[in-house]
Amino acid sequence: MKKMFKTRLVAILAILMLVLAACSSEGGKTTTKTEGESKPTSGENPAASRGNEVVVGISSDPQSWDPIDTFLLDWSTVANSVFEGLVERTLDLELKPGLAEKWEYTDNNTIVFTLRQGIQFHNGEPFNAEAVKYTFDRLLGDEGKKGPQYSNYTSIESVEVNDEYTVTMHLSNADPVLLTKLAGYGAVIVPPGYIEEKGDENFNNNPVGTGPFKMTSYKRDQEAVLEKNENYWKEGLPKLDKVTFKIIPEPSTRLAELQTGKIDIMKRVDVAQADTIKGTDFLELKEVGTPTVYALRFDTAKEPMGDVRVRQAINYAINKEEIISTILNGYAKPISTFQSELSFGNNPDLKPYPYDPEKAKELLKEAGVAEGTALDLFIPGTDGNFKEIAQAVSFYLEEVGLKVNINSVDGTTLTSDLIPKGDAGHMYRNGWGGWTLDFDNTAYLMYYEGELWNPSFKDEKVEELLRAQRASVDQTERAAIFKQLTELLYELAPEVNLYQAVDLYGVNKRLKNFQPPNEDRMRLEEVTVE
Amino acid sequence: MLTYVIRRLLHTVLVVFAISLIVFFAIRLTGDPVSVMFGAGEPTREAIEEITKNLGLDKPLYIQYGLFLKGVVTLDFGTSYRSGMPVTDLIFERIGATLALALGGIVVAILIAFPVGIISAVRRGTPIDFFGRIFSLIGISFPNFWLGIMLILVFAVTLKWLPSSGFDGFSSLILPSITLGMILSGILARLVRSSMLEVMNQQYIATAKSKGISSWAVIIKHAFRNALLPTITFLGLQFGSLLGGAVIIEQVFAWPGVGRLIIDAINQRDYPVIQGGVIFLAIIMVVVNLIVDLSYSIIDPRIKTGKGSN
Repeated sequence: MKKMFKTRLVAILAILMLVLAACSSEGGKTTTKTEGESKPTSGENPAASRGNEVVVGISSDPQSWDPIDTFLLDWSTVANSVFEGLVERTLDLELKPGLAEKWEYTDNNTIVFTLRQGIQFHNGEPFNAEAVKYTFDRLLGDEGKKGPQYSNYTSIESVEVNDEYTVTMHLSNADPVLLTKLAGYGAVIVPPGYIEEKGDENFNNNPVGTGPFKMTSYKRDQEAVLEKNENYWKEGLPKLDKVTFKIIPEPSTRLAELQTGKIDIMKRVDVAQADTIKGTDFLELKEVGTPTVYALRFDTAKEPMGDVRVRQAINYAINKEEIISTILNGYAKPISTFQSELSFGNNPDLKPYPYDPEKAKELLKEAGVAEGTALDLFIPGTDGNFKEIAQAVSFYLEEVGLKVNINSVDGTTLTSDLIPKGDAGHMYRNGWGGWTLDFDNTAYLMYYEGELWNPSFKDEKVEELLRAQRASVDQTERAAIFKQLTELLYELAPEVNLYQAVDLYGVNKRLKNFQPPNEDRMRLEEVTVE
Repeated sequence: MLTYVIRRLLHTVLVVFAISLIVFFAIRLTGDPVSVMFGAGEPTREAIEEITKNLGLDKPLYIQYGLFLKGVVTLDFGTSYRSGMPVTDLIFERIGATLALALGGIVVAILIAFPVGIISAVRRGTPIDFFGRIFSLIGISFPNFWLGIMLILVFAVTLKWLPSSGFDGFSSLILPSITLGMILSGILARLVRSSMLEVMNQQYIATAKSKGISSWAVIIKHAFRNALLPTITFLGLQFGSLLGGAVIIEQVFAWPGVGRLIIDAINQRDYPVIQGGVIFLAIIMVVVNLIVDLSYSIIDPRIKTGKGSN
């Protein structure tokens, strides 16, 4: 009897344990979801005690702060506060004088810059014509040629010092996008004396510029601490005493830090996290359109993708609006060509291919594509959202009689190996958006024969237009060329243009005047705290 | 003893050589470090060629491999493509965080698993044993990223007791160590339980008991000490793999460890960092193994390393 009781007890306990185990995981999930809704009642702002300092949570560490070593968005998020270029691009994407007071094109290939006077680098070194010359000599010299920046600036032949505060930039060919390129990344001005004395390796970890904040400490993969530049040349700025950038790769952890007030700004909020932030009363969600666009690009060398009717049919078959509204919860914008609405060269008259499965079937029939034809789709395995999108695409294409095999592969292998070699199936995901916000940057790389990410697309007229816009610095003329180019590309349909990405930022409400940047280049000098 | 150690160290050289071959050629199978480097920039064909040349990646593979081997011998793995920093510096600046997390995880695992395992074995077949085994099962089945995020939500977001991420003092070590330790403790508790059961069936335990020694003294002094051997092997191997293998936990808790360094380097195809990191971990693994083997003779004097290994 006693033994039986024991067996029963064990059995009951076993069931209890299983139920508990099940509940605990269920319960856990609910916590995540309702976290935001349960928070607001507390009311107080956990970051209030931090005072005139701001902490920003970013997802990755660029590893080197030397402007010519990397070309990463996270570099610009931080370094935009440390370094400045001759030209400044505002958060509203307007070009303004930066370290140069003014400039003048004396002819298509020569620009004379007049520099601002009385500006010092963070180490006290004076900013002058020598520093400008040094910066570009370094960028275009041996040191620069080890990194990814110099290829953006090859139109610069040389920089000549006229006097202490004027320089002449000689160009080897006209470069319509050069002024924009001078507003950041590889073209930010660096201190010659400091680099020569302390060496390049030191500069990687201890950057010195002229910007509103100076970097006072950097722990790789942990944090970069920026303090106010007391001698900043813009009157009364910056307003904050200190900004710390913390590197927190996992989005859920970044969100936890934001909820606990450990950070004030969270970069890269996932679509699924948006509601939690909106539901917390001391936080706000800020969204901003980015230059980045996503498309399923076709490898035209793989049959039947060589047939323009097939490419158009696939464009008609996919309901892009539905993808944006359901999978991306509306945090994305429709596009008609492979560029965002911010891009110079975007054609607002073109509307995305409408969702029309009947038309798609017709075109496929005309092209002689048999029902059940299988297409390989390659996507990077790390992008969870895009996996869902690929499944939706597969569903839409099945509706018009095509079969899709989704191949989820390592992202780096996809972009650096499979796409360039034409091994990425009939179509593949490609995300792109240059910070210059000029269609030149995208179109040349994607449609000109022989470029890295153009395994097979070839069209004489497209190439002629690409060359023509590059040869001109007249923006009206270029706009006209781009109008023609976009219309042509729309017809040729070398890809299915899915959407323009929207960046989400979670921001503590104690911050005032924080405007999220379109292209990751955060500016914090005007930001204040309550 | 000395000859044993020397022979083992010679093995190490062979192991490292084999690993150097595998890692060098395997990472060159897919992807291209140069085009990855461009990030948001313009990877023109000319620029890619130029950088390839500047990084020495245009040289024949056997020459590149030779240079790498020379580096292994002199412990100079070159400089990272991404950060421009010497690879050895990058590894050594992370060693502290890596060791702290691995040790923290092991300590938590021991604190949980030893009592659970011992009590389960002693009270075999009772509800306590049943609980112990269920506990191990749960420990083994938890996905560690999920456990990590749950711990953050409970202890950092809701209770606000502990920091949710970063490497900043003892308090920041607690949650990642528990996450790591919980998963380890599941397997460890099972191991302790089964080796305890095995030892407790031995005659000398019965003898000790019959001599009238108190039962807990028998369990701890006679049974547990002998049951330790397989546990030590397990912990030694785990410790080695934790140094590079706690990547997910490092990711969740923004922990600046060696695992994250290597994973990021793999994503960027930063060859020198991948090569240096993997070789470094291999050397540590071999050394830890050696220490584990040597510790046997201390725990169990019957094992004589010199002859025993034959």
